[in-house]
Amino acid sequence: MISRDGVAGLVCLAGSLGLLVLTRGMPTPALVPIGPAFYPRILFVVTAVLSLALVVTDLARRRRPAVPPARYRLVVLTFAIFTAYVAALPWLGYRVATLLFVAGLQVALEAPRVRWRRSALVALATTLVTYYAFEVYLTVLLPRGRLTGF
Amino acid sequence: MFEYLLASLVEVLRPAYLLPLSIGTLAGMIGGALPGVTITMTIILVLPFTFGFDPLQGLAAMTGVYVGGSAGGLVTASLLGIPGTPSAIATTFDGFPMARKGQPGRAVWLGTWASAIGGLLGAVFLIGATGPLAAFALRFGPWEYFSLFVFALSMVAGLTEASLLKGLLSGALGLVVTVIGSDPIMAVPRLTLGTEFLRSGFQFLPVLIGIFAFAQIMTDLEKMAGGAAPPRVEAPNLAVSHLAVIREILGRPFLLLWSTLIGVWIGVLPAIGGSAANVMAYDQAKKFSKHPERFGTGTPEGIIASESSNNANVGGSLVTIMAFGIPGDAVTAVMLGAMIIHGIQPGPLFISQEPRVAYGIFAAYLLAHPVMLVLQWLGARFYLKIVQVPKSVLIPVVLVLCTVGAYALNNIMENVYVLLIFGVVGYLLVKFRFPLAPLILGVILGDQIEVNLVRALMTDANPWLFLTRPLSGGMLALSVGSVVLALWQHRRQHRRGAAQAGEPDTDF
Repeated sequence: MISRDGVAGLVCLAGSLGLLVLTRGMPTPALVPIGPAFYPRILFVVTAVLSLALVVTDLARRRRPAVPPARYRLVVLTFAIFTAYVAALPWLGYRVATLLFVAGLQVALEAPRVRWRRSALVALATTLVTYYAFEVYLTVLLPRGRLTGF
Repeated sequence: MFEYLLASLVEVLRPAYLLPLSIGTLAGMIGGALPGVTITMTIILVLPFTFGFDPLQGLAAMTGVYVGGSAGGLVTASLLGIPGTPSAIATTFDGFPMARKGQPGRAVWLGTWASAIGGLLGAVFLIGATGPLAAFALRFGPWEYFSLFVFALSMVAGLTEASLLKGLLSGALGLVVTVIGSDPIMAVPRLTLGTEFLRSGFQFLPVLIGIFAFAQIMTDLEKMAGGAAPPRVEAPNLAVSHLAVIREILGRPFLLLWSTLIGVWIGVLPAIGGSAANVMAYDQAKKFSKHPERFGTGTPEGIIASESSNNANVGGSLVTIMAFGIPGDAVTAVMLGAMIIHGIQPGPLFISQEPRVAYGIFAAYLLAHPVMLVLQWLGARFYLKIVQVPKSVLIPVVLVLCTVGAYALNNIMENVYVLLIFGVVGYLLVKFRFPLAPLILGVILGDQIEVNLVRALMTDANPWLFLTRPLSGGMLALSVGSVVLALWQHRRQHRRGAAQAGEPDTDF
């Protein structure tokens, strides 16, 4: 039976071998003895060997480390909302997307005891303070929305 | 040297520098006091605000965060029994019992003054050792640099608490991140799969922000119940005789010096931070004590050892980044990224090429301690109130600042996508119990390892030179030695049945 270590080792092994194959297409320079593929090849061989060792060690282990229980609902939810935020930034612009993200994530994390007024105020304050601090004071041009125009 | 230092002290005392330093120190103390927000996280959040500053202003603010953060954790550690940062864990052991015995002011101020004194002793080492170490490193050729970086990586991999194999693999994965994009010698695109997104490779800071911020936040979220209310806190009276507290600390010179030395030494070792320093100093203090049985019951020795070591650790970490360009921990890794953004390359030439910035960092480090004392005096009770900020409010704000920090590096969305990708990668690595420190060090040193390896082989194709040149060979021997030692220690631990089953510490 393979544990998390073994799975990680197999994923890293597959990745290393895949990348090693990709180095075959790299050009060989005519003027210098060492090309761009030289170092990556050494590295991928090292990574593959270490990954393989991790798999073998895992298979040879008699006692498996206990996996502590964890609740993933909020983790998955937060990743999903953050991904939506990142995707929305170029379309809605920084101000609209940030306002929705901060309010939405607070609601998701507080449910079912949502404090609506506080969530709205925090979202508004975060958006305005960061917008003025970065765009006005630090002259960082924050993303503009293709749909909203600002 | 002293003329430069004096001139820098005068310069940093000007409002243009003192203000960022003070704000940085305050931010560090608040971040340090907040459980779940590490100093690394705080410096990541402060980073985007420094982009518009001149390099010294930005680095002064970051130095302030570093010093303030190391001291800020002790307030919640002593008064609530919750270490605000991992570098205050050992402070909890005696600070909290002392506060519960009715001496909260003594607990907080013993820690604060020990932090300040330990930090200033660390500054003596920083100022005295950086120049000579940098001068020594100037003798290095590409062979020695390659071996030094390999030594740093192998040592960090060996020192991680998870398995040695995973430490080494984590470091190698960090190196893999750096080979994607244009190669550093001839700028040939590598492993880009024909996409423009991968052509310029991954910038170091969005990778670091993604890995650390998400690893920390998502691990916290696993433990968080929906809508859980934060604890209600009553701020106690912290009045105390400061002279008596200082006398109490200085009356234990051996303890103070030994803890400071441990802090400095842990700081010098690449990628190990105050979280290891305070626990190790506490353990040593207990071993050397005539009354070890008093430890854990509110003895001042425990607080002094923990707090003097974690602030001295800052000085040690700054030495390695300034003399060798190797970050001492995650905080200096972010500082290294900030330096590169400002066009400054840390390493042996840093102090001679950028004396104003280098001595400015020394001055900022020295001045951050009195600033920290004043801020602690003004706001210790306020920092305690901060734990009442609910995570549901804090996390969205932190994620917005991380996003802006990644975006503002070049004003491009690609950096935000990198942040998200490495956020997922960082969290998965934590779940698979991979240590993050070797990974980050690999990302930081990857380009330099490749450049120096190729440069050495182009200068002389004989690969044995890596072993036959005394310094290079010595460092490679030390690399092998550190791996063998780690292997021996891991085996011994396993035999004692102390194999860890828990999640690894996400503090760098």
